[in-house]
Amino acid sequence: MRSVVVAGAGMIPFERRDDDSLVDMLASAGLNAMDDAGIGDHPVDSVYVGNMASGLFNHQVSVASALVDRLSLMPAAADRVENGPASGGSAIKNGFLAVASGYHDVVLVVGGEKMRAVIGPKATDIVAAMTHPEAEYIYGLTLPAMAGMFTRLYMEKYGVTREHLSMVAIKNQENGLLNPYAHIQMQITMEGILTHPQAHVNSPVVAEPLHLYDCCPVSDGAAAVLLTTEELAAKWKKPPVKIVGVGQATDTHTLHERSDPTDLKAVRIASEKAFSMAGVKPKDIDVAELHDAFTILEIAESEHAGFFKIGEGAKALEEGVTRIGGKLPINPSGGLKARGHPVGATGVAQVVELVWQLRGEAGERQVKKAKKGFSLNFGGFGNNVLAFVLRSDV
Amino acid sequence: MKTITAYKCKNCGLVMYPHHYRCLNCNGREFKEMSPSSGGKLVTYTVIDQLPWGIDERGRVLGVVQFDNGVKALGLIQSENPRIGMKLKADWGPVRVIGGEKIMGLIFHPTR
Repeated sequence: MRSVVVAGAGMIPFERRDDDSLVDMLASAGLNAMDDAGIGDHPVDSVYVGNMASGLFNHQVSVASALVDRLSLMPAAADRVENGPASGGSAIKNGFLAVASGYHDVVLVVGGEKMRAVIGPKATDIVAAMTHPEAEYIYGLTLPAMAGMFTRLYMEKYGVTREHLSMVAIKNQENGLLNPYAHIQMQITMEGILTHPQAHVNSPVVAEPLHLYDCCPVSDGAAAVLLTTEELAAKWKKPPVKIVGVGQATDTHTLHERSDPTDLKAVRIASEKAFSMAGVKPKDIDVAELHDAFTILEIAESEHAGFFKIGEGAKALEEGVTRIGGKLPINPSGGLKARGHPVGATGVAQVVELVWQLRGEAGERQVKKAKKGFSLNFGGFGNNVLAFVLRSDV
Repeated sequence: MKTITAYKCKNCGLVMYPHHYRCLNCNGREFKEMSPSSGGKLVTYTVIDQLPWGIDERGRVLGVVQFDNGVKALGLIQSENPRIGMKLKADWGPVRVIGGEKIMGLIFHPTR
């Protein structure tokens, strides 16, 4: 396989974007990545769009074809990749394989979702369409509800508390204040979301034991990377960041069929595959972007990805290991919690943040001397997971 | 009482719900259809205040139940004080209205 370099990375701010269509957002993010790489008029061979549900949110399909037209990239190949909340990660994997195999030299990968086009309960229903139709969806199961059931078991088994969950939220909101692309630019406090007798007014129950500030916001947004070969990347002169590890794994569709529902098997296996391919270990990683759609997931994923022993993620959080300035900063971007989670965009936005961190371009949230990064994109409720290892020192 | 259909692998005996074309354990393709037993215990649950479009209520309790004969399934829990391990009896009734049609599913009540 050939080495694959991320030559360009770009995003648009995640927020409620009433004035932009989904394709406008994809085009803006795509152009930002192309301009960041400085490819000028060099042709793009292929475009992969990570998007979960444009047909349901926006009544538009074939968005990859629409995007190449909007960017005048014809006759580039164009495909939309759908893998639930891991659509962005899957799009990057497809782009990676296209370059690594030698099939294409220049691939644009764009992830995006325009979720605020519908009202909140509709968005909840559209996202819930990824649950099992007869065994889950009919009961009104939502993704926060799956996370709620998971959290209750995790709390009972490992002693994770609501205070730990709130610590994740506070840390990531603080990081988000340093990220101009983050949707929720707001400082929150333990008193305001947990300990004050009226804290439930600010942070009401979504799906017990998860409250509002345990859940990511519903956002519009897009992010993009331009992938290419070492030779072309050298011409375009951007500091080279390589994708050196890609892992993916799946698990049962329903949560109840897992023999131990607290064991995020697909996270474990996808991470192991990415680390093995990269030839690095979790302890070598300088910065990680994890899929904190719910606060519990940052803790559980940090353990299952191999950074901490199972059951010890909350302790690492308490000790400040995962803060910017700690031994392993997790979600310096603010994560899904603060940056937002336009589902198809997330897997790409995580890699964009790693590229900025590994190039030393992350501004106030820069993790010092970051050379090796890891990202984890969690699809469904952990039934389809992608992991990536990126390096700037090879 | 109408209920869900679960599947027992004829090769290794694993009990599955919902249906799979190959056994989750041994890849076997032959299954014996079975019904869950009349009751079981609560494995985990959540109380949902933010429900999807079309379910106009708050405080819906959903939980995973392990039936006494090994079947596991999600269902509606009719209890104001759910707790892990509590014993439940299964019933069958309307759980959601979709397109004007009542959709039937598992509803669990605490055992007295």
